[in-house]
Amino acid sequence: MHVKKYLLKCLHRLQKGPGYTYKELLVWYCNNTNTHGPKRVICEGPKKKAMWFVLTLLFTSLVCWQWGVFIKTYLSWKVSVSLSIGFKNMDFPAVTICNASPFQYSKVKHLLKDLDELMEVVLERILAPEPSHANVTKALNFTIWNHTPLVLIDERDPSHPVVLDLFGEDYNGSASSSPAPGRSCNAQGCKVAMRLCSFNGTVCTYQNFTSATQAVTEWYVLQATNIFSQVPRKELMKMGYPAERLILACLFGAEPCSYRNFTSIFYPDYGNCYIFNWGMTDKILPSANPGAEFGLKLILDIGQEDYVPFLTSTAGARLMLHEQKSYPFIKDEGIYAMAGTETSIGVLVDKLERKGRPYSQCTMNGSDVPIQNLYSGYNTTYSIQACLRSCFQDHMIQNCSCGHYLYPLPHGEKYCNNQDFPDWAYCYSALQRSVDQREACISQCSESCNDTKYKMTISMAEWPSESSEDWIFHVLSQERDQSANITVSRKGIVKLNIYFQEFNYRTIQESPANNIVWLLSNLGGQFGFWMGGSVLCLIEFGEIIIDFMWITIIKLVAFSKSLRQRRARMRYAGPPPTVAELVEAHTNFSFQPDVADRGPDTKPYAEQTLPIPGTPPPNYDSLRLQPLDVIESDSEGDVI
Amino acid sequence: MAPGEKIKAKIKKNLPMTGPQAPTIKELMRWYCLNTNTHGCRRIVVSRGRLRRLLWILFTLTAVALIVWQCALLVLSFYTVSVSIKVHFQKLDFPAVTICNINPYKYSAVKDLLSDLEQETRGALKTLFGFSELESRKRREAEPLSSAWEGTRPKFINSVPLLFFDQDETSKVARDFLTGQKRKVRGSVIHKASDIMHVHQSKQVVGFKLIGRNFTLFHHPMHGNCYTFNNRVNDTVLSTSMGGSEYGLQVILYINEEEYNPFLVSSTGAKVIVHQQEEYPFIEDVGTEIETAMATSIGMHLTESFKLSEPYSQCTEDGKDVPITNIYNTAYSLQICLHSCFQTKMVEKCGCAQYSQPLPKGANYCNYQQHPNWMYCYYKLQQSFVREELGCQAVCREACSFKEWTLTTSLAQWPSEVSEKWLLSILTWDQGQQINKKLNKTDLAKLLIFYKDLNHRSVMENPDNTIPSLLSNFGGQLGLWMSCSVVCIIEIFEVFFIDSLSIITRHQWQKAKEWWARRQPPPCPEAALRPQGQDNPALHIDEDPPTFTSALRLPPALRTQVPGTPPPKYNTLRLERAFSSQLTDTQVLDES
Repeated sequence: MHVKKYLLKCLHRLQKGPGYTYKELLVWYCNNTNTHGPKRVICEGPKKKAMWFVLTLLFTSLVCWQWGVFIKTYLSWKVSVSLSIGFKNMDFPAVTICNASPFQYSKVKHLLKDLDELMEVVLERILAPEPSHANVTKALNFTIWNHTPLVLIDERDPSHPVVLDLFGEDYNGSASSSPAPGRSCNAQGCKVAMRLCSFNGTVCTYQNFTSATQAVTEWYVLQATNIFSQVPRKELMKMGYPAERLILACLFGAEPCSYRNFTSIFYPDYGNCYIFNWGMTDKILPSANPGAEFGLKLILDIGQEDYVPFLTSTAGARLMLHEQKSYPFIKDEGIYAMAGTETSIGVLVDKLERKGRPYSQCTMNGSDVPIQNLYSGYNTTYSIQACLRSCFQDHMIQNCSCGHYLYPLPHGEKYCNNQDFPDWAYCYSALQRSVDQREACISQCSESCNDTKYKMTISMAEWPSESSEDWIFHVLSQERDQSANITVSRKGIVKLNIYFQEFNYRTIQESPANNIVWLLSNLGGQFGFWMGGSVLCLIEFGEIIIDFMWITIIKLVAFSKSLRQRRARMRYAGPPPTVAELVEAHTNFSFQPDVADRGPDTKPYAEQTLPIPGTPPPNYDSLRLQPLDVIESDSEGDVI
Repeated sequence: MAPGEKIKAKIKKNLPMTGPQAPTIKELMRWYCLNTNTHGCRRIVVSRGRLRRLLWILFTLTAVALIVWQCALLVLSFYTVSVSIKVHFQKLDFPAVTICNINPYKYSAVKDLLSDLEQETRGALKTLFGFSELESRKRREAEPLSSAWEGTRPKFINSVPLLFFDQDETSKVARDFLTGQKRKVRGSVIHKASDIMHVHQSKQVVGFKLIGRNFTLFHHPMHGNCYTFNNRVNDTVLSTSMGGSEYGLQVILYINEEEYNPFLVSSTGAKVIVHQQEEYPFIEDVGTEIETAMATSIGMHLTESFKLSEPYSQCTEDGKDVPITNIYNTAYSLQICLHSCFQTKMVEKCGCAQYSQPLPKGANYCNYQQHPNWMYCYYKLQQSFVREELGCQAVCREACSFKEWTLTTSLAQWPSEVSEKWLLSILTWDQGQQINKKLNKTDLAKLLIFYKDLNHRSVMENPDNTIPSLLSNFGGQLGLWMSCSVVCIIEIFEVFFIDSLSIITRHQWQKAKEWWARRQPPPCPEAALRPQGQDNPALHIDEDPPTFTSALRLPPALRTQVPGTPPPKYNTLRLERAFSSQLTDTQVLDES
């Protein structure tokens, strides 16, 4: 109804011509608005008016600027952080335990036999200044060697480095390539390098090492990878350390536990690893008290005598604390525990809870990451480490068309080995050294929003003490092997205590720093501070703008109408009838101004009207017309 | 209502008496309260009844008080900071790693320099504890030492005599004695044979993987030659883009146990410190020890902290505003400032510089030849330094931003039983001609330093309040209590300070004039000729010509009725109406 009325009024105004001018509208607005400045502009004297005008403009611009600042701040999606520290009943972390040696040497000896023999000869060749030909001539498997041989690079003459093959004379008889002085070079003059060839030996690179130790180790690991990748997983798991041999005793709080409480997982670097409290099948164990009494106590036997001699030079247990249902990347994040010691680890759970988009680029569950998570086969949660490794494996498969032994395989792919993929070592080392590959992976993988780390305080003591040594060894041997002899030794046993510290959690939680309430209250504060305004004032302003447009429309319509009128008048080319004439026309029915008749006539109009009888019209009439109209429109405006 | 009254009221309404035009303060206040934009004041004037008015006055005053209080709180809490912790996963710069042997100098090389001191120490040990021969080391048996004690005149024991106080205190004194001598002797070492130091390398870095081979030599006064890895050689800093032990620094250290000085150091191993590239490694203060025959794996976590400097806290950005000259050629840190301060004071008080810190300009290191009393002076100074009497702790300020690497250290046996044999032999080969004998397990240590993960945690202080937020808080407070704004404040200023003052001065001026007039009886009769304000006794404003308002307020003074203009005869209203209807008609006609 109202709208209709309003529209009618507008139409009326339209018909009548522009009743409101811009100035009137502005004055009315200034007088009636609720913002504080404009009123002053109207009702003060001229000097103050100017001052208030300037002030109002200034404040308006200030408000606009500050609003811009606030909206920009809001759109920057900042977060505020709350940190809480304390103790609460928490799930005990999952504990992964591995032996530093992936396999029992006694069980993998048959696989590594050729390689080990070769390695011994290589060492001998490097060390001994004069090769003793007698023992080299025994049957060595040179197929391994030929694929990626180790070479000596003689750099005593820097401009002409001489490459010497360690077995130069033996397998192809090209004695000329390795002259006699090359044999007596040492670390200062010579470097041991690995020759990596691809494309059937046409393109070769030498991977240099600064020390022979490094070169030999690297070479051996590469060859061993090649061998193990051809053995099926089940066989490999049998060759690793079984749980009952590794875990001698286990105590969680007051509850005894055994190797059966551990979940087995095969980790290519460390063989069989065992995870306590992983939460995959069993209930997750909580720990309600701080201190070693209520934590996990373990006794392990790493069996150092059975280590693979060339594969690992470090002896100890490897362990890692991680979240339930997450995959342990123990090679990167694990720590060592030394044999013959008791290692106590106090744990503080360091939790980070981030806000997702648009606050940061993290991912909640990894579903929006463009890389297929290869570790999802273990039913584990997303982590950036898993993503980076999956990404590497992806690249590996793309570039070398086979998967690396250390990472899980996607469907339908095969692990690299020398037989099927002769170029893989060259390809792999190139890929490993490429920075672009890593950068690409990092840019593709995004970190996970909820991140839990375990801060550890590690302390060590000798264990068992000399006086208690005897009985402890006896008991442990009895328990494991049911034998009266001592089968464990100081070189093999590790004691571990893992427990919560006095404060067991530190949570860093993100929350949006600037929410919509903050934005609104600040906008309101600014507007109120400078101009005393509110949202209603904005609506008022909008209304004024609509009125403004109406006026413009009315004016335009009036203008067009006047244009048309003028055109019509051009046609009739006579002055418009005066008010008196019109009044006459209205009251006197017989009166005919007969303008139309005399259109083309050029004679002055006044002469014609003179003879018409009637009261002479008042002369000031036309002057009054304008102010009267104004008053009328004003009263009408009040009604609106 | 009479038509005159009506017009008057209308004019009064449309033409407000603003500012100084108001005749009295009360009138001004009334006008202000009626027309102001704040909410309380109007109520005071409008409300009826004394109680209500009082209540409204009370409310308004309370609101004003609340505004003032809250705004004061806002201003006072302006310089607070909020801390934000951010964790990024990104490519990280590898820190500089400095590795030192605990033993500073090869025993075989400095034996000659220290022989006197050593003999005296043995002598002192013998006199104090009745223990004569150090049998632990075989190589010492060859030395002729029994005669030396008798032969040479003890020179060190005279300068700092060792006293035998009490059974409990002996060990302490003995230790002080030893370290004191050590410092002094080393001071002379550096003077006499500074060239020796750079020749001796008591440690060899055997092998390291992955990130390059740039160890730079760095001479540390207490630890001899130290080697810094990744110390911005060729202006490049190495960085890691993968976490984990594979992608870090792997070093095998050769710690030549046989060359250890028996009295200088009593532990075996190496020291390692992780620090920023520009930072000076205070290895004696914050180093981590590395055991021999062990693999030490150190996982790092990077935490970066940024503090806000003035006016939020007292920290310094680059140390330029700290009145202590940095004698180290490195970036500022609190530690550096304290050491520099101490060294400067030492040069001031004792006239010579202490050996373990760099030399300030134009100073010399202390030795007994030139500064016989330096040891006494040094101990005095150190005591007062520890008691914070030197003012160093007050002057030095912490740095605003620092990087910190949290280390998680774990140990494992290395080399393992089965790999020991081949590893030792190949390491010996690596050493080449430098060592002619086979290496021992206890001469070696393996060190792995790596980023545990590339999560980089930065703790940042941000200003809690900015000017916009402060202003909007002000606005919120003002709006909440009184619906006030800056405009109101300007109004208040205008009304209370400019207008009311002008009114008061006007009144005073008028009073003074009156008083002056009364004091001086009319000097001339012309003075009485002030018939302004139409001779109206009700109007007190004498100086100003009556404004339209004041004129209107005058009661009609005389019975003289101004003959009003007779109403116009023509009927304007009717004319207008007729006209408008006529106009529409004509328009319609025109259109049709």
